[in-house]
Amino acid sequence: MKAVADLLNAMIDAGVIDTYALFGAIAQMRYTEAVATLDADALVVLRSEQGRDLLAPIYEFCRIRGYVPQDEAVLVGAWPVQLVPVFSTLTKEAVELAETVDYEGSALRVVRATHLAVIALSVGRAKDYARILALLESKSVAPEEIETLAARHQLSEAWQRFKRRFLDE
Amino acid sequence: MNDIARMLEKQAKWQRQRAYLSWPEKIRMAEIMRDLLRHLRSGMPHRHCPRIVEEHAQPPKK
Repeated sequence: MKAVADLLNAMIDAGVIDTYALFGAIAQMRYTEAVATLDADALVVLRSEQGRDLLAPIYEFCRIRGYVPQDEAVLVGAWPVQLVPVFSTLTKEAVELAETVDYEGSALRVVRATHLAVIALSVGRAKDYARILALLESKSVAPEEIETLAARHQLSEAWQRFKRRFLDE
Repeated sequence: MNDIARMLEKQAKWQRQRAYLSWPEKIRMAEIMRDLLRHLRSGMPHRHCPRIVEEHAQPPKK
């Protein structure tokens, strides 16, 4: 994961991306017990959003440094890394408000627990619901915080459905 | 409380404690889990669970 941090930070220094933040299972593990995942997910804010293939400059940057694409990801050390351009106001905000933490000597930006939970709510697969429950159980986020953030991003209905299904009974 | 309930409660407590490991440590655990998953899916033996994989790789007994 240190190699992932170094690569993402180098992308910022080179002007390929404006910023990034890890999300998904890897970010979740800051707050919960370890979970099984096949890859690491990073939200990226691109420097330029022109052209048909938005990720082309990133893949080129990786290729020059010897990191090759593997399916939908780039293999960095032990981890396939999925680079996902921010795709909503929620994900953009999640990156802007991400925390910078020290990962074995390298700075690594990571999405905070509340945004992780609401992004999971917006995606809405079974594993995303499991992520919200794990974050709630770890007390890294309170239901009220999810409710407030969900409301700001037009996800109140999804949150009420989740609450009825998993918390109210 | 019966023995099974006691055992499950102990297991849940142990699992919750795993949340307090350091993040790098949990990521290392996730790397091992991921490698196990890949090997189990491919049917290839793996250094962390050669016996389990061998058992899964056996054709069903008649």
